[in-house]
Amino acid sequence: MDAWDPSYGSSFEGASEADGPASPSSAQVDTDVEVPAAEWAPIDVSPSVRAPSVVFLVDGVRRNDAGLWTSEEDGTSYAGLAASYAAGVVRCDLGKGAASLVGARVARGLFTASPSAGDVQAGSVRYEIHRISGTGEASKLPAAVQAPLTALEIDISAAARDGGSDGTDLLVVDGPLRNRRQLPRTIGYVKTQQKQYLPGPLTAVVTALKPGQRTPVFHLGTVWGGWSWYLRLPGASGAPWSGIVRLECSPDLTPDQAIELAEISVVTLPRFASSAYKDPRAPQNLVPIAGLERRLRGMLGDARVLHRALTLATVRGR
Amino acid sequence: MIGVSDETSPVGRVLGTADATPLQFWTAVTPGEYLQLDDVVVTKRDLPDREPVTIAGVVTQVRARHEGAQFDSDVFAIAEGTLPALVQEAAEITTTRVDPELYVPPSPGAVVHRATGEARDAALHFDRMERRIPMGTGRDGVPVFLNADFLDGTRGAHVSISGISGVATKTSFATFLLYSVFRSGQLGADGTNARALIFNVKGEDLLFLDHPNTKLDEPTVAAYKGLELPASPFADVRVYAPPRAGDSTGTPDVSSRLTGIDAFYWTLEEFCATRLLPYVFADADDERQQYTMVVHSVTAHLHRHAVPAEGGVSIDGRRISSYGDLVDHIVEQLTDDETRSTWAGSAVNMGTVNAFARRLIGSKRDLSRLIRGDLAQRRPHQIKTAESAQVTVVDLHNLPDRAQRFVVGVTLKTEFEEKEKAGTGRPLLFVVLDELNKYAPREGTSPIKEVLLDIAERGRSLGVILIGAQQTASEVERRIVTNSAIRVVGRLDPAEAARPEYGFLPPAMRQRALLARPGTMFVNQPDIPVPLTVEFPFPAWATRKSESGPPPSDTLRSIVQGADPFAVVGSSDDDIPF
Repeated sequence: MDAWDPSYGSSFEGASEADGPASPSSAQVDTDVEVPAAEWAPIDVSPSVRAPSVVFLVDGVRRNDAGLWTSEEDGTSYAGLAASYAAGVVRCDLGKGAASLVGARVARGLFTASPSAGDVQAGSVRYEIHRISGTGEASKLPAAVQAPLTALEIDISAAARDGGSDGTDLLVVDGPLRNRRQLPRTIGYVKTQQKQYLPGPLTAVVTALKPGQRTPVFHLGTVWGGWSWYLRLPGASGAPWSGIVRLECSPDLTPDQAIELAEISVVTLPRFASSAYKDPRAPQNLVPIAGLERRLRGMLGDARVLHRALTLATVRGR
Repeated sequence: MIGVSDETSPVGRVLGTADATPLQFWTAVTPGEYLQLDDVVVTKRDLPDREPVTIAGVVTQVRARHEGAQFDSDVFAIAEGTLPALVQEAAEITTTRVDPELYVPPSPGAVVHRATGEARDAALHFDRMERRIPMGTGRDGVPVFLNADFLDGTRGAHVSISGISGVATKTSFATFLLYSVFRSGQLGADGTNARALIFNVKGEDLLFLDHPNTKLDEPTVAAYKGLELPASPFADVRVYAPPRAGDSTGTPDVSSRLTGIDAFYWTLEEFCATRLLPYVFADADDERQQYTMVVHSVTAHLHRHAVPAEGGVSIDGRRISSYGDLVDHIVEQLTDDETRSTWAGSAVNMGTVNAFARRLIGSKRDLSRLIRGDLAQRRPHQIKTAESAQVTVVDLHNLPDRAQRFVVGVTLKTEFEEKEKAGTGRPLLFVVLDELNKYAPREGTSPIKEVLLDIAERGRSLGVILIGAQQTASEVERRIVTNSAIRVVGRLDPAEAARPEYGFLPPAMRQRALLARPGTMFVNQPDIPVPLTVEFPFPAWATRKSESGPPPSDTLRSIVQGADPFAVVGSSDDDIPF
C-alpha cells in the first residue's frame, strides 16, 4: 500500500479553459462541409429548429482510492492502483421540468501489471483485477482506468434509452465521442480545447462567436474523428476562448444529419450552461453534468472509508 | 412485546447521516410514502443472543430537502429540469416505547413501519391501560385514550388545561372529557355515580349541557361512534344561577335558559354559622395584611352571637334582614369605642379597623344579592352536588369579580368539607374551574387558594378531581400545576409557550401549539413520554341558545313550580300548610 494519498498523483487536469488550445493539431480538417471555408461566419440559431424535450446527459467520474505495490515471488514488485469509477445518465425532461438520474453504475478495479495479483476484497466492496500489459509503471496506471469507465458509460447510455425514445431526444456525452459513436442521436461535448484544429483565419471565426452561435460543421480526419463544430455558451467572461465548447458527432452520419444535430445542439445546450459563481468550470461544465458528477462522486463512497478498508485488506493478505 | 404486523407497510429506513439514539432518531421516508407529525411508527433491532428489540415512537418533526443541490438558487435549475436532484423527506421519531427495555439505538438502514392496530396501541401504551377513557382522535383518525388511573386518583388526579381564550377551546375539552368519563363506561360504577361541578364563568355557554345540539351533523355523530360514545347531551344536569339583583323573589338571573334552573344564595344565618366572612376578602389569609386579624375575630363573633330569626339573623338583640344591614351593623359596632373590643379584640387600632370596614363596605354592592335574609330558608338554594344532579353547573358570568370568588370559594369549601366528613373517595367529584389563575394565583394567599391547594394536594384521596383551565399556566400556583397528572395545552401565546411550565412539550410541538386549531389539544399523561395530539369532536350538546334543541322533559318542572312546595312549608307533620 502506497502511503501517499492517491489524489496527489492524479492532478493531470487540462489547462485553464480561458487560455484556449495550446498546440496546433496535425489532423486533416475538411472545412467545406456546410459552407465553403471562404464564407465561414458565425451561425445563429435557426428559428425552425425545436429543442428536444428530453435530453440525456452521460458522464463518468473516477477516483484513485489507493496506490499499491505487489510483492512477487521472485522479489520484484509491481505498482497497482485501486480505483473507483462510476457512470450515470441524467434524463432532463424539459417539458415536465424534471431532471432525474435514470441510470448509474459504480465499479471498482485494481489496475496492475502484476501476473500474480487477484481481486481485492476490501470490507464490503470488491476491487476486480484489471491486468494491464507491459511493464506497468505507476504513472501509466491512471490512464488504464479510462477504458473500463468508457465501457461503463456506453452500457449505461444504451440502457438509459431502454425506457423508450421518441426519436427526438438527444444524448450528450461528456468528452469526445471516441468509441461511443454507435449510439444514435448522440453528440460528444468537449469542454477543454487542447488542440487547435482549424486553420488560423477560421479560428478567428470561433473567437468571434457570440453566445448561442456556432461555427459551420467541419470534418476531422483523425482516428476518432468525425463531424465537429464549435459553440459559445452564454455566461462567458469575454476572453476569446471562454465559453467555447467543441461538439462532435459520429462520422458515420451524413453531412446533413450532422448539420441537423449541430442545429439542435445550439438550441439545447445554452440553457444548461452553468454560472461562474456556482461552478469554477462555468459555463462549460453543464448544470446537469455538474449535478450528475456530484451524485456519482457520492456513490463512489467515502474515500477515507475505502482507503482504510484497503489498508486492512492488504495488511491481512500479507 | 410490540407486534410488527404484516399488513403495516414500510414507510422508510432509519437514516445514518444523523445520530440515531435510543430516544430519538431520524427516518428517511421511502419515495412515494409520507409521514406526518404524530404518525406512529415502529422499527426493530436484532441483538446477538437476545430477542429483538422493538422500538416504537411518534413523528415529532418532518423535513424535506433537495439532495444534490448546493446552492439555494439550485432549486430553480431543479424545477426547470436541468439539475438532477432528489427530494428526500426525513422524519424525526421520538421514542415512546422500547420493548424489551434495552435502550439500544435502532441501526441505520433498519426498515421503519407505520404502526397500526395493536402495534399502535402498544406504541402509545394503550395496551397497558386497564381502563382507558377516549379523549378524541389522533391525526390518523384513530381514537386516543387517557389512562383512567391518572384521572380518578388511583395513581394520579387532576387535569390542567392551558391555552389562549377563545381559540383553545379549554372548556369544551373539559366538558368533553367529563362526558367521556360519564358515558364511556370505563370507570364502571364510579363513572356513573361520579358528580361534576362546573363553574360557568364566561357567557351562558355551559348552561345548555342537557340540550341536544341542532348543528350536530353526520360526520360528528360518526366521530362519536368511532370513540364508542353516544352523541347525545349530558343526561342529568342541574343549573344554578344567582338571584337577579334587586329582585326580592330570588328569580335566577339568566337570559337564555328559562327552564331547569334554580337560584342559589346563602342565608344570613348560614353566612354567620358557617364562617363565610373570610371569603368576602380576596387576601384574608395574607399575613402581611393587618386587617385579616379583624376578619377572623369578626367571623368568630358572628358565629357565636348570630341567632337565626325568620330568614335573617339577630345579633345582640338587633334584627338584621339583609347583607347590607349586616355590614352596616358590623361597621357601626367596630367604630363604636365601647363595642369595638368585643368584636375585634382589644389590641386593634383604628387604622386597621378602617381598612377592614372599607373593604367590607365595598363588598355590599357585589354580595347583597347572594347573601339574603329575605328569602325562604328551607327552599333549596344551596349548591350541593351530593343532592344535585350528575352535573351541576354554577353560573357565575353575571357576577362581579368579588362575588365570583365568594361563590367559588364557599362552594368548593363546602363540597370539600362534605367529602372530608364522608371520608371516602367515592363518588368522584369533578370540579371544572376556568380562570384558575384568578382563584389560585402564583403570588399571595387567599382562602380560595387554600381550598384549591387542599383539593390539589389531598383531593386525590378524597375523590375530588380538579379540572382547572387557565390562559397561562405560568400564573397559576405552582403546586396546583405540578399536582396535575394530566396536562393539556391548546393554542398558546408565543411568549407563554416559551415558559418552563410547558417543558413537557417537545420543541416542535411547542411551535405547533402556536397554531393549533380549535378542537386540537396536546395531552400529556404520565405513562406516555410524548404528548399526544388529540382532536376531540364537536360537542353533541348545545353551547349557546341558538343551537340548542328542545330542553329535556324533566326540566320543564321548573316552569310550573320554581321550588319544591314541601321544602318551602317544611316537612314537619304537625304543620298543616293548607
